[in-house]
Amino acid sequence: MRRRDHLNHQLLNILTWAIVVVSLLPIAWMVLSSLRSYGDIVGGKQLDGGFSLRWQNYVDMWTQVDFLSYFGNSLFICGATTLLATLASACAAYALARYRFRGSDAATLGITVTQVVPGMLFFLPLYMLYQHLHQQYGLRMLNTYHGLIFLYVALFTPASIWIMRGFFVSIPRELEDAAIIDGCSRLGAFVRIILPISAPGIIATATFIFLLAWDELFFAWILTDSPSVQTVPVGIRLFIGQFEHRYDLLMAAATVSTLPVLAAFFVTQRYFIKGLAAGAVKG
Amino acid sequence: MASVRFQNISKRYNEHESVIDDVSLHIDDGEFVVFVGPSGCGKSTMLRMIAGLEDISDGELHIGDRLANDEPASRRGIAMVFQNYALYPHMTVAENMGFALRLAKTPKPEITRRVEAAADTLQIRPLLGRKPKELSGGQRQRVAIGRAIVRDPQVFLFDEPLSNLDAALRGDMRVELSKLHHTLGTTMIYVTHDQVEAMTLADRIVVFNGGKIQGIGTPGELYDNPPSLFVASFLGAPAMNLFDAHLSSIEPMPTSRLASGATIQAAVDASKAAVGDKVTLGIRPEHVAFSTADTLGAVLARITMIEYLGDSAVVHMELPGGGQTLRAKTPGRPADLGFGDTVHVVLPPEHCLLFDAGGQAFPRRP
Repeated sequence: MRRRDHLNHQLLNILTWAIVVVSLLPIAWMVLSSLRSYGDIVGGKQLDGGFSLRWQNYVDMWTQVDFLSYFGNSLFICGATTLLATLASACAAYALARYRFRGSDAATLGITVTQVVPGMLFFLPLYMLYQHLHQQYGLRMLNTYHGLIFLYVALFTPASIWIMRGFFVSIPRELEDAAIIDGCSRLGAFVRIILPISAPGIIATATFIFLLAWDELFFAWILTDSPSVQTVPVGIRLFIGQFEHRYDLLMAAATVSTLPVLAAFFVTQRYFIKGLAAGAVKG
Repeated sequence: MASVRFQNISKRYNEHESVIDDVSLHIDDGEFVVFVGPSGCGKSTMLRMIAGLEDISDGELHIGDRLANDEPASRRGIAMVFQNYALYPHMTVAENMGFALRLAKTPKPEITRRVEAAADTLQIRPLLGRKPKELSGGQRQRVAIGRAIVRDPQVFLFDEPLSNLDAALRGDMRVELSKLHHTLGTTMIYVTHDQVEAMTLADRIVVFNGGKIQGIGTPGELYDNPPSLFVASFLGAPAMNLFDAHLSSIEPMPTSRLASGATIQAAVDASKAAVGDKVTLGIRPEHVAFSTADTLGAVLARITMIEYLGDSAVVHMELPGGGQTLRAKTPGRPADLGFGDTVHVVLPPEHCLLFDAGGQAFPRRP
């Protein structure tokens, strides 16, 4: 029996390492390619030994394309999206977790249903809506920060509500009862007791929203056409030209663009894991 | 300190169903009252209505001289201790205990003084700097009680506060709560489904079932003279022996005939009943006595199981004719009794109770 356990343990170890390798391989490939010359990459010599690291790619990527502008746009749009979507989803999730009201079941169901509809299907209606808003009301949504932020908040809030609702449900109601008896209003109990306790879940959700927004290419590509509002994923595509695909610079830009995401993840890692696990088991 | 008065209180979540149905009750200033009853009987809802956590659908709730129906929870002068402690996990013990005072904008030195005084009473001063997750279950419950004491409430509310503790700790905390009541002299209302807690702690017990009060009285009164079949069956472990029977005579002493054919007398006043009425005969297991065949009124029974409890034993028996079982509680281990033995038992009339078909007890004879 012990021998069998040992064998199982070893097999699980091998499987874990295989998953780690498969997951990290594209990232390693990206970093490796970002340090090779254009000639090496198009010549298929990425894995050849004896090459010198070409750090110049990390300089050229900023000059060939105005990458700093894309980077700034992404930080602003994703930051605002994260803030607004987290705020909206925290309030909505709390209401759905704690209160029974007319339509609460339908709202919960509706949120779940939105997750099974591919976001891409909204492209045409959304584009027409944005045009309509501009033509009818003079409200410019296409090619603006707020146009993208509005869309991202709408796209990512339902999933965030779903995650956070699970977190709020796992918090005993008696904590709010105790706070109310102690002198808090309902809102006071939420702000003073529930929010601090839910910090891991909220931070995890905020990180999740930031990651989704940071990676989003489809709508950013279609709804914007000016570098003054375009985001990093759109900027990276500019390294692929009509006559030349600058994979070296593209990989360098891709590597740089993962840094904020990695930083966000590592800073909030503790909360992220805690937050995702919350709700699974009543602690 | 304050009295609590319920006047025709009802609670409805919808038009058709009352969770609490027209309950009236007066709890004296400084009294320790325990609400008991099975799950869903409405006892916790009653407590939450006193606390201001549930709206009152009908009736009046008075705390002291004030009508408290619409008073916010924090102004009712109550403090509540919850089953799962409900300590704020992100605050230290001292912050937990002083939270209500901080919200009331009490000066800091005063908060510190009151928190430390409560901590001394409960012997938790060394824990003041810790977070709840660093405490054991018993310590957490002490902190929860401390948080209530700090507020210096007029009424303490306890919602099954010992249910999450192990048996030994529960016993200790029971004693401490009783001492605390004597020390503080504050009105305490305590909800539990544990009848040992109810019997040991209460000045008065209120038995709930189906949103209605089934019986009010001191533990002794309710145990010895339960007003209804429900109270009789709910209080006491092992439970009271209850037998379906018919009245075979009323004078000189009511006699009921069991399905086994045995006739048992009960020293109650059944003058309002008629011969042939359906009744329920009840007797506590500790009052069932073993006897010899020639004892007057002796009943034949066969032992089906003996539960040895350490200081006592519960002997389970079956009466002739099948179906009806009888439990007797004896001190120590009954060495002369064994599984399958046929024995004679006596049900003394002075300990027998009779309940009418509606479940109401006939009064004992003076």
